Amino acid sequence: MLPMLDFYRSAMRLSMLVQFQYRTANYFYMIGMIAEPIIYLAVWNVVATAQGGTIAGYDAGAFAAYYIVWTLVRNMNIVFTPYGWEERIRSGELSGLLLRPLHPLHYDIAFFAGWKVVVIVLWLPIAAILTWLFQPALAPTWLESGVFVVAIWGAFLIRMMFLWLLGLISFWTTRVAAIYELFFAFELFLSGRIAPLVLFPDWVQALADWFPFRWTFGFPIEALIGQLSSTALLSGLAIQAGWILVGWGLVMLLWRQALRRYTAVGN
Amino acid sequence: MSPSQPVVVVNDLTKTYQVPERDAGLLAAVRSLVRRRVRLVQAVAGVSFTIHSGEVVGFLGPNGAGKTTTLKMLTGLLHPTSGEARVLGYIPARRESAFLRQITLVMGNRNQLQWDLPALDSFELIRAIYRLPSNEFRATRDELIDLLEVGDLVKKPVRNLSLGERMKMEIIGALLHRPRVLFLDEPTLGLDVTMQRRIRAFIAEYNRRTGATVMLTSHYMADVEALCRRVIVIHHGRVLFDGLLSGLVEQFAAYRTLVVTLAEPSVHQVDLATFGKVIAHDGLRYTLRVPKVTTPHVTARLLAEAPVVDLVVEEPPIDDVIERVFAVEAAEAC
Amino acid sequence: MELARLIAVFARIGILNELQYRVNFFFQILESGISLLTGLIGLALVFRHTTALAGWTPAELLVVMGIYVLMSGVVQSVIQPNMVRLAQDIFDGKFDYILTKPVDAQLLVSIREWQVWRFTNVVLGLLVITAGLIWRQVELDLWQVVIFIGTLFCGMLALYSFWLILTTTSFVIVQIENLINLFEGLFAAGRWPVSIYPGWLRALLTFVVPVAFAVTVPAEALTARLSGATLALAIGVSGSLFVIARLCWRWGLSRYSGASA
Repeated sequence: MLPMLDFYRSAMRLSMLVQFQYRTANYFYMIGMIAEPIIYLAVWNVVATAQGGTIAGYDAGAFAAYYIVWTLVRNMNIVFTPYGWEERIRSGELSGLLLRPLHPLHYDIAFFAGWKVVVIVLWLPIAAILTWLFQPALAPTWLESGVFVVAIWGAFLIRMMFLWLLGLISFWTTRVAAIYELFFAFELFLSGRIAPLVLFPDWVQALADWFPFRWTFGFPIEALIGQLSSTALLSGLAIQAGWILVGWGLVMLLWRQALRRYTAVGN
Repeated sequence: MSPSQPVVVVNDLTKTYQVPERDAGLLAAVRSLVRRRVRLVQAVAGVSFTIHSGEVVGFLGPNGAGKTTTLKMLTGLLHPTSGEARVLGYIPARRESAFLRQITLVMGNRNQLQWDLPALDSFELIRAIYRLPSNEFRATRDELIDLLEVGDLVKKPVRNLSLGERMKMEIIGALLHRPRVLFLDEPTLGLDVTMQRRIRAFIAEYNRRTGATVMLTSHYMADVEALCRRVIVIHHGRVLFDGLLSGLVEQFAAYRTLVVTLAEPSVHQVDLATFGKVIAHDGLRYTLRVPKVTTPHVTARLLAEAPVVDLVVEEPPIDDVIERVFAVEAAEAC
Repeated sequence: MELARLIAVFARIGILNELQYRVNFFFQILESGISLLTGLIGLALVFRHTTALAGWTPAELLVVMGIYVLMSGVVQSVIQPNMVRLAQDIFDGKFDYILTKPVDAQLLVSIREWQVWRFTNVVLGLLVITAGLIWRQVELDLWQVVIFIGTLFCGMLALYSFWLILTTTSFVIVQIENLINLFEGLFAAGRWPVSIYPGWLRALLTFVVPVAFAVTVPAEALTARLSGATLALAIGVSGSLFVIARLCWRWGLSRYSGASA
């Protein structure tokens, strides 16, 4: 356990150093991402105004809070892209990782976790500007804040596992773009990314319960903006932990197959 | 471990790849998504050899001979199709942690270090990955820095280093965990001559100090000549030769080069041509190529019949020998 | 007609080149389909809660979305690939070859790449526009169609000029990847009429990133919303953007030859 902590500490430190050097590029990237929630926010504001101020319990302030917190959660959600695996295999980077006595998943978790620390720091000024522009209604309790802080890391880990699973398909075929796009489309609607899940028909909300998506996106946001009861907050963390374990188990299972495939075929 | 103990044992190792066949046309392309037609290509076709502790062995062959495939099977990156490979008693394909901790694979032009940071930072990560005790790690690191004469370069971002300097950092990174077996795949690729010589000297010194076993592929025969007493030559996935480098020259060099310096220009080139093929001529110095078997006879005749001031018998350059090895093989294959 | 001939030659080479990868066509259709479906579900979600968005009916918003899809098809198949290649060529010095050709360099760098499969989105966009118009059940007169096509071309010109300005400045300031990312984020705002956005954002989408002229104005032309003033503005802004792009290009060229000398 201790050597593992040592690894995570070293790897996260390294990635923080790298990403801090890339702060300009990081900023551009983050700013490019802000357009998406602002578009959603503008649309829902117009709709809410037309409907007398609120829809499904969300007024302008609540929508603003939802989509501003959204920007941080979205950043926490960015993990190693499944599109990157093809290049990883082709360039021989994977071979380099395999020569080391450590599961490659650890590298990705550690590097992206370190990156997240930089991202959170860079995000703060963006959040301040958005708050000034859109006047969110945000007054979290201590419990809500605490759950949020844990939940964004839970979200990060769940998405890390599931996008890893998706990326492992690259070991069998390189025609993956359509599969990925389908996955991302599902995620868009079932996670709460395009809109809070309560705005969807009941059957969609019921469907969302069967997928990990809402625990990577909607849950942390709703936790902070005060949409959840204490029970829902704590059980939400438990469900996140459950999905992390499921994801981990599936990754281990599929990874063994992928490796068998890789060492049989080479590259 | 006693010096005679085998470290790498390879027994009738084969590797067959399945290469997908693609037909032209849209329908075929769509069909290939579901069901692929494959062709079998045998990259390694029954290779056997044993390498003992402390040996430095050159692994030679033209592109596509199966060198890299063999190295990958020995480092656990590829599963053999059949046959057996053991390194330090481990089966590489199992990729056991204890095995990975004792080997290293260095590939020229591959970058494992963080591009934007000083190499020192990447070394620190390697320490954590291999769980090296801090004092031991520092001692090894400083020793390697010293041996490769990189000094303060370890504090400069890797992207600002020259190709050769970067390769030195790669090598340090690959050796921090003090591996007992080194697989070096073209470690001097693309480097200038001075840098090649440095790296060569380093590998020799490292082998001498630590007694590590080294298996090396290189396109530069100078690497092989300087480092390897023994060479294994493979071609079309088979071992063509396994033995001392001098033996290779002995076996495959079909001719010798005679460098003759004459006292006076009285003997014309035409006359010398009766002794052997004149391949170079500079003033009174002539270079002749003579078949190996007739060399003693020709030398004796030259000394008797021409005003020779100086005569040197040379073996042909190793590159030519290697080229000849493959040419012979190709001719036999026809 | 030298211009048309040159474009035709390059387009032909590009198309022939891409025809070798015909299977990509299927995947492009699949991807475009998924993307369109995503947009439609988004629309449906909004109209679950309201009957009109800032005065736009569902059918009219379908027209907006169709134009958005069409325009992104144009950007992705011609404008963006050419600009990315330009940035690469400047980066690795291949741009020198362009300057040695006896053709206007700006023209040449703008017509070299044709990613023909991405035209799928152009076709798909036209289909969606048609569907929206049929659903809307209002007759179009010929004049409206002519103005629509005119505004569409103004929009393309504005987008092209915008990209060229971005690219010529990019080799001094930042990498093009970041700019593409930024552009795609902002261009997605075109899925909705710009009138729904707060004032500062609407100004940004009108005068800085020409989303309004590329998508909203043509949609206004088709839905009988377009005023003469807006039309004049669209023509004026597109024209000015083109002139600015040309000046930027000249400035970039002089800088480039200055740097390599």
